[in-house]
Amino acid sequence: MTRLEGGLRGSAGVAYALQNRAVAGVSALAVVAALALSGMLIAVTGGSPGAALRALVQGSLGDATAVSMTLLYAAPLLLVAVGACVSARAGAFNIGQEGQVLIGALAGAAAGLRLAVPGPLLVVVVLLAAGLAAGAWASLSSLMHELRGVDIAVSTLLMTFLAQQIVAYAVTTPWLLQESRLGAAAALPQSNKVPAGGLLGSFGDYPGLQVNAGLLVGLTAAVLMAVALRHTRWGFRLTMTGLNPAAARHAGVPVGRMGGMALAVSGALAGVAGAVLLTSPLSTNRLQPGGSLGLGWDGLLVALIARNRPLLTIPVAALFAMLRSGGGFLAATGVPSYLVDVVKALLTLAFVAPALLRRAA
Amino acid sequence: MAPEPALRLRGITRRYGPVVACDAVDLTVSRGEIHGLLGENGAGKSTLMRILLGLETRDAGTVERDGRPVTVTGPREAAALGIGMVHQHFSLVDPLTVWENVILGDRGPVRRAAAVASVREVSARYGLAIDPTARVSALSAGERQRVELLKCLRRDPAVLVMDEPTSVLTGAESAELFAVLRRMVAAEDRAVVLISHKLPEIMAATDRVTVLRAGRVVFRSPTAATTPAELAREMVGREVSLGAAVGVLSSASAPASSLPAPSSAAPSPPVSSPVACSLAAALAPASHSIAGDGPALRVSELTAPTLDGLRLEVRPGEIVGLYGAEGNGQRMLGDILSGLTVPDAGTVEVAGAVVDLRRSGALHDAGLGMVPEDRHHAGVVLDMSVADNLVMTALSEVSTRVVVNRRRLRARARRLADEYGITAASLDAPLRTLSGGNQQRVVLARELSARPRVLVAAQPSRGLDIGAVEDMYTRLRRCAEDGIAVLIISTELAEVLALTSRIAVIAGGRIAGETATADATAEHLGLLIGGLRS
Repeated sequence: MTRLEGGLRGSAGVAYALQNRAVAGVSALAVVAALALSGMLIAVTGGSPGAALRALVQGSLGDATAVSMTLLYAAPLLLVAVGACVSARAGAFNIGQEGQVLIGALAGAAAGLRLAVPGPLLVVVVLLAAGLAAGAWASLSSLMHELRGVDIAVSTLLMTFLAQQIVAYAVTTPWLLQESRLGAAAALPQSNKVPAGGLLGSFGDYPGLQVNAGLLVGLTAAVLMAVALRHTRWGFRLTMTGLNPAAARHAGVPVGRMGGMALAVSGALAGVAGAVLLTSPLSTNRLQPGGSLGLGWDGLLVALIARNRPLLTIPVAALFAMLRSGGGFLAATGVPSYLVDVVKALLTLAFVAPALLRRAA
Repeated sequence: MAPEPALRLRGITRRYGPVVACDAVDLTVSRGEIHGLLGENGAGKSTLMRILLGLETRDAGTVERDGRPVTVTGPREAAALGIGMVHQHFSLVDPLTVWENVILGDRGPVRRAAAVASVREVSARYGLAIDPTARVSALSAGERQRVELLKCLRRDPAVLVMDEPTSVLTGAESAELFAVLRRMVAAEDRAVVLISHKLPEIMAATDRVTVLRAGRVVFRSPTAATTPAELAREMVGREVSLGAAVGVLSSASAPASSLPAPSSAAPSPPVSSPVACSLAAALAPASHSIAGDGPALRVSELTAPTLDGLRLEVRPGEIVGLYGAEGNGQRMLGDILSGLTVPDAGTVEVAGAVVDLRRSGALHDAGLGMVPEDRHHAGVVLDMSVADNLVMTALSEVSTRVVVNRRRLRARARRLADEYGITAASLDAPLRTLSGGNQQRVVLARELSARPRVLVAAQPSRGLDIGAVEDMYTRLRRCAEDGIAVLIISTELAEVLALTSRIAVIAGGRIAGETATADATAEHLGLLIGGLRS
């Protein structure tokens, strides 16, 4: 067998390149298949695929308002996805972004409502508080991993449900964050509105094109992280840790600390996404139990499709944001809007499955 | 009327390409005996037994059970023919209980009560005390061995093959195991084949012994009629064939030009025979130690699972071989010297300074280069580029505090690739596209680029083709000439003889003895490997 190795490996470089192209080809086919299947589903459920597509495009790109909405969704998606890239690249699989988004929103709301910071500085404090709190929240999973060997994917996932309970408790408990009502009217399970100084500003306004500052935060995070992973010692070591922890350890990387840090960064970015949700026009600027809108899960899919490359998350996040904003319009064409979720799932499978093929080969 | 033997193998031959693993092997095992099968790693013992179990096909030869020729196509058929095997590495499922493991592979419905009762019955009959409801993950190595044995005995085999059964057992556990085997053979007229490279247990536990070397039966005898010394000699090879082996190897692996003239070498080691003399001449390159220098590497009282107070020193310019049968603690030592495992006790000193083994990269920083046994595990990152792999331990030299300078990284990688003759389509290609020899060169180039004081190479030629081996040996010799202390961890005698000036033999996690390579005799090394101190 050892004799054969030389000969076989000699052509391996060519084979590898061919395989990459084959994977790209399979990916394209899979996406076409996913779209065709989605069209069939729409037709079967009594809708018209053409009309549905038009509605989707109309609702996401049709006019300035639609584009504004798409961009609003893109910001938190980007932040979550960039964070997911970091942890996945380090081999610490964080899948609890949904909970981290909620914890970020909780901490952001608490800071915005309780801290007496003047004007525009408040929004910075809100974002920082959200990042710190969610980073610490994610670090609880590192701690469990370090102390008792608890699997990180499992603990981050389960912590999501804990986070949901905590937020629900906070907004139904008057001395915590539940809104204050005057008179006898019952208070709703939500917080007070974050004061104006704690909100993210926008360039432009409805009905024209509106670009919220949250998008800039997301784009900046994606670009900075791409540069950091590619060009810094930290990025090199993080990548090495994810691909081969034993070799990384041998090369002097404190592997455990590296994984813990990646998880914290990932959680922090999801937390900032939560604060962006809370303080942008996407929400009512109140902390609500369902306030994460499931964007934590979507962001994870974005990273998955972008193969953990921060720059690639930008177009993918845009696509997912379009599905979000356009999805609302679907109902008007008689197509159940949950079909958008089916389309998302099919698209994700289409992008991810070919890579699995290669691993199996 | 001589009864037919329980098992008779005739002319078993198995080739892997040009390598003959078993060469016309005959083996006869009678009822009521424990038959020792002795040989070094790679002598063909395991292949022979895998053929018997139907796990491996044979190119020629016949297998007879009780005088009838049989065809064995797999372990299930072997079991039906009354042949059972306890493998060297435990094949138990940790999270399951003892009884679940024992019935694993049975067909039909699972009856817990019946299974537990049957485990109790078998364990009582053979005195293999074990709780059938215990979880395997909670058992000691000795207890696991008992479960393996139970699993096999429950199928009532007439012929039981034990492959290196004591490799993970303590002395007391081994003694207990052999008592059980003896009882079983005497009372139930079963036949046992005991595969081992440990001389004391072959001497103590077997009735007859067959020695395999390089795929051939070289010796057979009633155990009572032989001595450990004779067995050791047969196992490792006579002095004459030892010399011949080295001659072949050094002409194949070390071009004449790379061998310095004997006169230029350090003081000639004492010679004990004409054969050894020619050996010394061929092997002299390795001794460049400078008198008065302290050891560059000192390993003291290293204790860890499979290591038992290991002590070892290597001086600058010296190539020392750590030789022994596989599974005697070499892997653990390699893991410790790679910084992957922290020992329970003991210290590693590089150039006189104790290294803090808990800190990642401490050994590297102290000046220890490592070519690990399993390069894919700890040596390289297969999915990073060749350039990245060449530079990953010297990142600080191609970067500022924060930013990696890609141009400098590539320049350094290019220089190393040229210097070490690494053939790659592109330095940006993933490392996995390289051949095994080139991957190994990448590891060596990277480790040596840090200008280490000590280089440890574990099984440096494993999995490489002849040309790559030759290149590797030349480079390792050059390291010693440059004053690096080189430690070769190897299970290949030929490799150790070709490279080193001193051989330390590891057995049972400690050094059984040391000898100058030129003074090494087959008998001496064989005794040391077998765990007997000379």
